[in-house]
Amino acid sequence: MPSPQDILTDLYQLIETFAEQGQELDEETELVTDLKLDSVKVMNLMLQIEDHFDISIPLNVLPEIRTIKDLAAQIEELTRVAE
Amino acid sequence: MGAEATPTENRLLLRPADFSNLAEALDYAAAGVTGCNFYNGRGAIDTVLPYEQLREEALGLAHRLLGLGVERGARVALAAETGPDFLRFFFACQYAGLVPVPLPVPITLGSHKAYVSQLKTMLASCRPSIAAAPGSIVSLLNEAADGLELAFSGSSESFLALPEKKAALKPLQHSELAYLQYTSGSTRFPRGVMISQETLLHNLRGIIQHGLKVRRGDRCLSWLPFYHDMGLVGQVLGSVASQLSIDYLGPREFAMRPRQWLALMSRNRGTISFGPPFGYELCERRLRQGEAEQFDLSAWRVAGVGAEMIHPDSLHRFAQALAPAGFDCKAFLACYGMAECSLAVSFAPLSEGLSVDHVDADHLAESGRALPAKALSDNNHATRRRSFVDCGSPLPDFEIEIRDKQGCVLDERHSGTIFLRGDSVMSGYFGDPDSTRAVLSPDGWLNTGDIGYRIGERLVVSGRSKDLIIINGRNIWPQDLEHLAEQQPEIRSGDALAFAAPGLDEIDIAVMVVQCRETDEQKRADLIERIRRRVYAELSIDCHIELAPLHTLPRTSSGKLSRSKARDNFIASRTQLPVDSQQIAVMAQQQAV
Repeated sequence: MPSPQDILTDLYQLIETFAEQGQELDEETELVTDLKLDSVKVMNLMLQIEDHFDISIPLNVLPEIRTIKDLAAQIEELTRVAE
Repeated sequence: MGAEATPTENRLLLRPADFSNLAEALDYAAAGVTGCNFYNGRGAIDTVLPYEQLREEALGLAHRLLGLGVERGARVALAAETGPDFLRFFFACQYAGLVPVPLPVPITLGSHKAYVSQLKTMLASCRPSIAAAPGSIVSLLNEAADGLELAFSGSSESFLALPEKKAALKPLQHSELAYLQYTSGSTRFPRGVMISQETLLHNLRGIIQHGLKVRRGDRCLSWLPFYHDMGLVGQVLGSVASQLSIDYLGPREFAMRPRQWLALMSRNRGTISFGPPFGYELCERRLRQGEAEQFDLSAWRVAGVGAEMIHPDSLHRFAQALAPAGFDCKAFLACYGMAECSLAVSFAPLSEGLSVDHVDADHLAESGRALPAKALSDNNHATRRRSFVDCGSPLPDFEIEIRDKQGCVLDERHSGTIFLRGDSVMSGYFGDPDSTRAVLSPDGWLNTGDIGYRIGERLVVSGRSKDLIIINGRNIWPQDLEHLAEQQPEIRSGDALAFAAPGLDEIDIAVMVVQCRETDEQKRADLIERIRRRVYAELSIDCHIELAPLHTLPRTSSGKLSRSKARDNFIASRTQLPVDSQQIAVMAQQQAV
């Protein structure tokens, strides 16, 4: 099971490709409003997260995710369940 | 689970929706071997639900709903996640004499608040006695239903603990409602379309017998949301009413892995599947080099296209990319319809592919006449052309009129508002006589709000409901965007106009012109950023914001704010839209994926 720090590191790498050039990312960065992710980009990011962490993101998780920190916490939870 | 999907071949004689109500349709289908199959995003079967089993389970659930003692015709709100539970509840309502109301499920990031408030307004509109949601989102449903007096509300599973009432079931009869459909109307002012059993079955017969000419050996696949008219009526109810097996993929799973659509069509030799143009486009963009050869799409005879304006170019690219898989571009079937007409109004002829009408854009803009464009005009200047897809002839029993602003009926090739009359038209919006009167005349004519023209019997749609903004296949109401701008302290009501305008590749983007008194550059930039963020947070779309000086928003001759004039001004003000760096980035990235 990856540590919370591993998850964050990997997550920054995945998200970087969606951010504008030179945009600073931290745990409080909001995915939709700061990174301007529309629904197509969000699905694209979720796909990469599912494949990278080998998890399935359930329906109820999306509405609760605003920041990178929220996303990392959900991934941590889901990888723990998957163990 | 490793379960086997239900077979395509049935042992029953195919009955094309000749039933008097939905319960009767399922009763008949249950005597055969066909049914529904739910696949996950990775292409494995999660659940197989033959119609026989669906009927058994729906009957059991119907007795439990009866036990709640609610009156006949009471509404049952259902958060319509793609899965077997929705079907069980939907048909349990049919058997128990209750009216199901499919409602959306949350699909966007961070949408908790926006979703709950959307659900709240829909619940306030349909006034349900019972509400059910998948266990995973039942807390959101409960939050939205807080303060409502419900006989019962809970997760799908929680209904199983209810006692069954041993009483005779009397299914919804032909003149009673079949469902309420919340596809139409803005997020803040939703409108529930009332469709009766006879209206629905009339439309299903039109679709099955005339539009698709359903036959033995057909098999459907759908990834469309169950709360969408094309998903619910066209695919879910259409397949029950014609006893076809159907394979389901969730809309979210499709959006993440669009190629699963092709993989499943190929594996199960699907023959009928519908999507908005956006779906075909997404699929084509994600296709990998050399991958098409792995699929066999030669059985796909109806690739239905509807729900938004059809741009033929992206569909041609799809057909080209999948030609190695045996996809036949003649399978494309353009259609036109709306929830207010149950679903379908017209279909292009089968097996002919898309037929495009090229018209002179200047004539169309100036005189409203859709005259065929000549390749070169007399003085050797190429005429500006606009191309529209021919949506075919209306189903039998539909009367169509194209009317001008004064209500006069127009001749063919004159563009105007599409009016419809016929047995598939709704009886009205639930509990909303004002909205009903605004679109439905006492003699049964429905004002669709869509713009189009006729060529003989055939209908060409040149603009959907003049104000509707469609982004990535989703309907966005301009009022919802304008409301977000008007909530900013420096903006007053009536200071914003939102509309769709063509961006890159002719694909529409959302644009909003906002008038304000602010002149400080920094404060203006801040205002734009604030509105854009609010739009992202509430609606998950990008919106191009332009600021304008006070008192400059265009008005109609009668003094009302005019979105269409604002749109024309916006398009005229720029010969070319600025290339959106993000859009390019995402396209590059999608090619890389």
